Amino acid sequence: MAVVLARPARAVAPTQEAPWVRRLLIGVVLLLLAVLVGAPLVVVFAEALREGWLVAVASLGDEDARSAILLTLAVAGVAVPLNAVFGIAAAWALTKFHWRGKALLLTLIDLPFSVSPVVAGLCIVLLFGANSLVGGWLVASGYPIVFAVPGIVLATMFITFPFVARELVPLMTEQGKSEEEAALTLGASGWRTFRTVTLPNIRWALLYGVLLCNARAMGEFGAVAVVSGKIRGQTATMPIMIEMLYNEYQGIAAFSMAALLTLLALLTLALKSFLEWRHADQLRATGRH
Amino acid sequence: MHIEIDEIAKEFGATAALHPVSLRIPSGALVAFLGPSGSGKTTLLRILGGLEEPSQGRVLFDGVDATGLRVQERRAGFVFQSYALFRHMTVFENIAYGLRARPRATRPARVEIARRVNKLLELIQLPDIAGRYPNQLSGGQRQRVALARALAIEPRMLLLDEPFGALDARVRKELRQGLRDIHDTTGLTTLFVTHDQEEAMEIADLVVVMSMGRIEQVGVPAEIRARPATDFVRDFVGA
Amino acid sequence: MSASVRGLALRSPSPIPGWGLSVGITVTLLSLVVLLPIGALILRAAQVGPVELWDVINRPRTLAALLLSFRAALVAALFNLVFGLLLAWVLVRYRFPGRGLVDAAVDLPFALPTAVAGIALTALYAPNGAFGAPLRDWFGVQVAYTEVGIWIALIFVGLPFVVRTVQPVIAEIEKEVEEVSATLGASRLTTLRRVVLPMLLPALLTGFALALARAVGEYGSVIFIAGNIPLVTEIAPLLIVIRLEEFDYDGAVAIAIAMLGISFAMLLVINLIQVWSRRMTAGS
Repeated sequence: MAVVLARPARAVAPTQEAPWVRRLLIGVVLLLLAVLVGAPLVVVFAEALREGWLVAVASLGDEDARSAILLTLAVAGVAVPLNAVFGIAAAWALTKFHWRGKALLLTLIDLPFSVSPVVAGLCIVLLFGANSLVGGWLVASGYPIVFAVPGIVLATMFITFPFVARELVPLMTEQGKSEEEAALTLGASGWRTFRTVTLPNIRWALLYGVLLCNARAMGEFGAVAVVSGKIRGQTATMPIMIEMLYNEYQGIAAFSMAALLTLLALLTLALKSFLEWRHADQLRATGRH
Repeated sequence: MHIEIDEIAKEFGATAALHPVSLRIPSGALVAFLGPSGSGKTTLLRILGGLEEPSQGRVLFDGVDATGLRVQERRAGFVFQSYALFRHMTVFENIAYGLRARPRATRPARVEIARRVNKLLELIQLPDIAGRYPNQLSGGQRQRVALARALAIEPRMLLLDEPFGALDARVRKELRQGLRDIHDTTGLTTLFVTHDQEEAMEIADLVVVMSMGRIEQVGVPAEIRARPATDFVRDFVGA
Repeated sequence: MSASVRGLALRSPSPIPGWGLSVGITVTLLSLVVLLPIGALILRAAQVGPVELWDVINRPRTLAALLLSFRAALVAALFNLVFGLLLAWVLVRYRFPGRGLVDAAVDLPFALPTAVAGIALTALYAPNGAFGAPLRDWFGVQVAYTEVGIWIALIFVGLPFVVRTVQPVIAEIEKEVEEVSATLGASRLTTLRRVVLPMLLPALLTGFALALARAVGEYGSVIFIAGNIPLVTEIAPLLIVIRLEEFDYDGAVAIAIAMLGISFAMLLVINLIQVWSRRMTAGS
């Protein structure tokens, strides 16, 4: 007589939740993500294309829109490289030498993260505004900072200041300084060592940091709103333009510009994912931002 | 090139890694700095290579005070404990690095660089790996590439920090003899740091036993075995 | 090895060059971009004086704005704490189609400009929006132009912080720890509660602190959906902007200092909790 043994359809490993729990959690998480993140994404394009593709594109060709786009690109074009230079210099100082005060420097570098963008803008206005010592003299000599492009650059730099440094420091700490020392013993000068040994070792992390820095720089709103004076055609960046258009009930124009920035964000994410997939070993060990 | 170490000492903060030590190293010798970790041997090696500044004392190369010489000017081939190969360069590019880093005036032609690199690859008995990357090599191969890289700049001395440290016993034995052979072929004054007394005794012309930042004894291996100068030497080497 | 720095006991000399240049660039840019502006704020605050500052802060409108900003930030950060933990767990431990896409999507709030998020969320939750209409018709709930709208906006911007800080920690948990707990008879839930969760606590707290800090100062994604009615849905950063537009610099400074002060206190508390939790879980 055959004995039929009953076995469970699938045994659950001791370190796993039951299948129904898993499915429930996945479902809940996906639903919440779709609502929280997916829906806004869809809405941007839905609103932009409400009257069709041509109307949306035409709104971007508007003179003020074009100025805003160019200004945003220009500001990022200055702020991001400067922050990259800072990031590299700070990472070099922090990881290739032995000195006290590193913790202090790291804390100071992280400072912009704990300051509201509006407060950042306020600080810059206080420092360089027309009624401050420095600012008064600058305005008189014809080089205003506040309500002008340099102020926007400064505000953007403030907000995105830590990005590149935070990507490079853990990586360069891990990589140590033996390769640089080896290059020196082989007769290479400081610059050559940096160029041929250090840079290649950090290039993907650097690119990653620059990507994040750029995305944030182009999208910065709060600080720029305070500092720029929102002068249409002159000191209005794309995010500022979006606000102005939206408040004037020009929904399609506002969402078209928003769609443009969203495409940039999506591109940034795609590049970021690619870098993480391809060069995981060269990026940071932790996935922190 | 003969080396003279004159009252070299090194402090890191409050800790004395090296008490004042003096030593004369004859030209062309293969010298082992032997001792446990913390004995100061690596510090001394790095000072000779210019990677650390001594707190006091002088270093003389061929009678000339070299204490102030920068790393790049010392022409001391250095092999690091971790080999420190340039991970993004091929073996060929690693070995050629020092030659390519020379200023235009003294840089050899591309063809000449290739010739020298290939010659070195033959010297280390790895003629076929020129196109590989460090992460494709075994530990023993990396060590030899690091050695070739240091030799490429035609150094006047060779400094090796625990050159066999990260390798398993069988590979160590093979490479040990390899180092001796390369030393005999090149005739360079070669200094290496080790904690393995068997290694030191087997291949070195001269052994410098160190402990806690001081030199305990200097002598040929046979002498150290036969007449240990202190209890420490006897215990450390006797094993 | 330059002679000029030989005498400095601040650092041990090194043959690696570039000390002067790298420190020079670092200090110059840090001062110019970050330290001087913040210094200007603190200087101005000192000039205004604590009495005047308190006077401004103590007005109903200011207090309401500060309370709203911090309360909404707290609510959002708490939600993100729970949701972020779940999300991180699912992403690390489970396999499902589209996992890579979801992982990348978590970063969207980080990469998306706040103004874009602001108008998108408003369009969604406005009474005639894709979500706002059903919510109003079926549940009688209005989201846009109320504090709930602010919560949603702050949840959006703070989402990546908890997820990204907790993810690597979950990934590093050794399976053996959970297996041991099972062999000792603990149910899965007990294992998760008493073994896994304590291991994640420091990262959770860090992520929470980051999300909170971000939410408190958030401006662009909130001002569209909030309605901005003074004393009801007016956030502190907006009040600063309004004061600036009125050229009331002292008022703006007072609110900014209040924000910085409270943020600092909050982060201090969280840091203390972190230290305490580390002490509790140390030795495991």
